[in-house]
Amino acid sequence: MEDAVRAVDLSKTYGTGPAAVKALDHVTLTIARGTVAALLGPSGSGKSTLIKALGFVSPADTGEVFFGGRLVVKDGVPLADLAALRRRHLGFVFQKANLTSFLTARENVEIACEFGGKSDGRKRARELLAYLDVAGRERSYPEMLSGGEQQRVAIARALANEPSLILADEPTAALDSVRSRSVMELFRKVAHDRGAAVLVVTHDHRALEVFDVLYEMEDGRIRPHQQERPAPAAAP
Amino acid sequence: MNLALRDVRRHLARFVGTAAGLGLLLSVVVAMQGIYAGMVDDATILTRAMHADLWLVQRDTRGPFAEGSRLDPSVEARAAAVPGVRTARPYTYQLIQREHRGAVMRIALVGLGWPDDPGRSLPLVRGRRLQQPHGEMIVDASLGLGIGESLALAGEQYRVVGLTKNALTSGGESVAFVSVADAELIAFDQPAEAAVLERQRVVARLRRTDLGRGQPALEDLATDSRWRAPALASPPVAAVLVQADPHRIAEVREVMRSWGDVSVYSQDEEEALLLGGVVQRARMQIGLFTVILTLTAAVIIMMVMYNLTLEKTHDLAVLKLMGAPRTRLLGLILQQAWLLGALGYAVAFAMGELVFPMFPRRVLITETISLVAPVATMGIVTLASILGLTHVMRIDPSTALEG
Ligand SMILES: Nc1ncnc2c1ncn2[C@@H]1O[C@H](COP(=O)(O)OP(=O)(O)OP(=O)(O)O)[C@@H](O)[C@H]1O
Ligand SMILES: [Mg+2]
Repeated sequence: MEDAVRAVDLSKTYGTGPAAVKALDHVTLTIARGTVAALLGPSGSGKSTLIKALGFVSPADTGEVFFGGRLVVKDGVPLADLAALRRRHLGFVFQKANLTSFLTARENVEIACEFGGKSDGRKRARELLAYLDVAGRERSYPEMLSGGEQQRVAIARALANEPSLILADEPTAALDSVRSRSVMELFRKVAHDRGAAVLVVTHDHRALEVFDVLYEMEDGRIRPHQQERPAPAAAP
Repeated sequence: MNLALRDVRRHLARFVGTAAGLGLLLSVVVAMQGIYAGMVDDATILTRAMHADLWLVQRDTRGPFAEGSRLDPSVEARAAAVPGVRTARPYTYQLIQREHRGAVMRIALVGLGWPDDPGRSLPLVRGRRLQQPHGEMIVDASLGLGIGESLALAGEQYRVVGLTKNALTSGGESVAFVSVADAELIAFDQPAEAAVLERQRVVARLRRTDLGRGQPALEDLATDSRWRAPALASPPVAAVLVQADPHRIAEVREVMRSWGDVSVYSQDEEEALLLGGVVQRARMQIGLFTVILTLTAAVIIMMVMYNLTLEKTHDLAVLKLMGAPRTRLLGLILQQAWLLGALGYAVAFAMGELVFPMFPRRVLITETISLVAPVATMGIVTLASILGLTHVMRIDPSTALEG
């Protein structure tokens, strides 16, 4: 299947001298559309740094990032309008839901549609909220929603523009195991139904069978996950 | 979707509260400027309402407002005889303080040259001009007297026949207009006790002279109340106001300048003396205060706007991460600033309409103020949002990922 994003030889160092931290160390990675990939690894291994580089938020120092086959960032220099790229083709889901506090659930999704240039934002927002099973809460402000509901609204927002790449950084950290599993399954559904590439940073090893690919990071280096995948029936 | 309005809707009470506070601040600034304008306008009404081309006052004085001026009454006739002069009329000015119905009244008493000037040029809002040389007065409405009411001055009743508006001195005293003759009566009014004492003094002095000792009948004559000292010669006036043919003013002025006992000022010069001498300090004071207040307001507004932006930092970072166009985020801040400015101005305007008329000093909202105030308000809130705007530009979208 078509590649959504391809990173070639990304390196990034925070700080200088003895205090320097090599957060990315020659990372090369491809995520195809229609796949859900998990990114595992201990704290401080560079997972968030990679997400930021792939999401065109803070570029790596060296290396190249291709998006939909086009070279977009080379050695930290943007070759396209990154904000425009983000609003049209990317969806983000964070650890905390990070909804816009002064917009209702529906408006949070609607504004993303608007940024992406969709004209029927309101209708689409309703559909997405229904798809994620939170249609009943569309007039609620984020602070009135439960953590799980917030996270589902955030996913609806990430889906607003039919993104080719969804990046999620520990999206289930604030959720209990039942809810976190249902969120992971949602990502799978989105990838398979809508043909998006999904990269999820997670510490949660209980739901790994949901993913098509597993990566592991350590000290800024990436490699395929070594552990055996648990049999689906054995999962809690 | 308008983000600015959504945010306001979410925090409506706080936003309205901020706007109200801003409005009160603005209304104080406007009041200050209005008081300043009122002060200047009040001060010049005394000179302007007289419609004189030239003011003759005591030589080398800056009278009659900035300092006392005593002019021999003969100047009036002399001035009238100068070729090119249309009218010359006497003018007196003095401050008196009287109690009326238990309240203290400070009055600036202006004597008008009867019969040439019965108050023809005064801006009357009700009633009429003086119609007889004695016992009538025109007062400023700020004294609180109505038409037909009487005021006891120097043992006589003066009936109010006309009312002016905003005829106040720079000190805030209401101006009252009577004929020059009445003004002099009031000025040289003597309590009975003082008259008795003066009479005794005259008698004692007479008795020390040979003439007094030889002619005792002189005593009666000397102490007759009609012979009171000021009545012996006509009392001095404060100024003589001259109207001349428009094209001969300079010529008339040249003639009068050569007289040894007068100084000549044009209407503008007299006004400048009044403003420069009497009003200057108060004006500086209020002017400086207005400047400081305006700056304070600007700084406060700037901090308020900055805080409103700071509070939204996280929301803005999330929107940035989602790829929100920069103009949308800057627009959010600017639109809120303008909304705040507009609401604040509305509050200030309402305050002005309701409260300013109750101020003891006149708050004059000149055309300039009413034009400049809204423009300046919008300018200030726009400038004040600069801090917030730079903050928006600096927000790093990756902070949104950190949760
Ligand atoms: N802004 C920064 N400045 C300096 N060092 C940073 C910065 N961000 C991350 N680092 C360092 O880079 C390394 C990788 O950080 P990163 O946030 O990518 O780790 P992570 O795998 O996401 O960890 P966690 O699981 O705790 O979220 C860490 O050692 C971290 O201390
Ligand atoms: Mg992280």
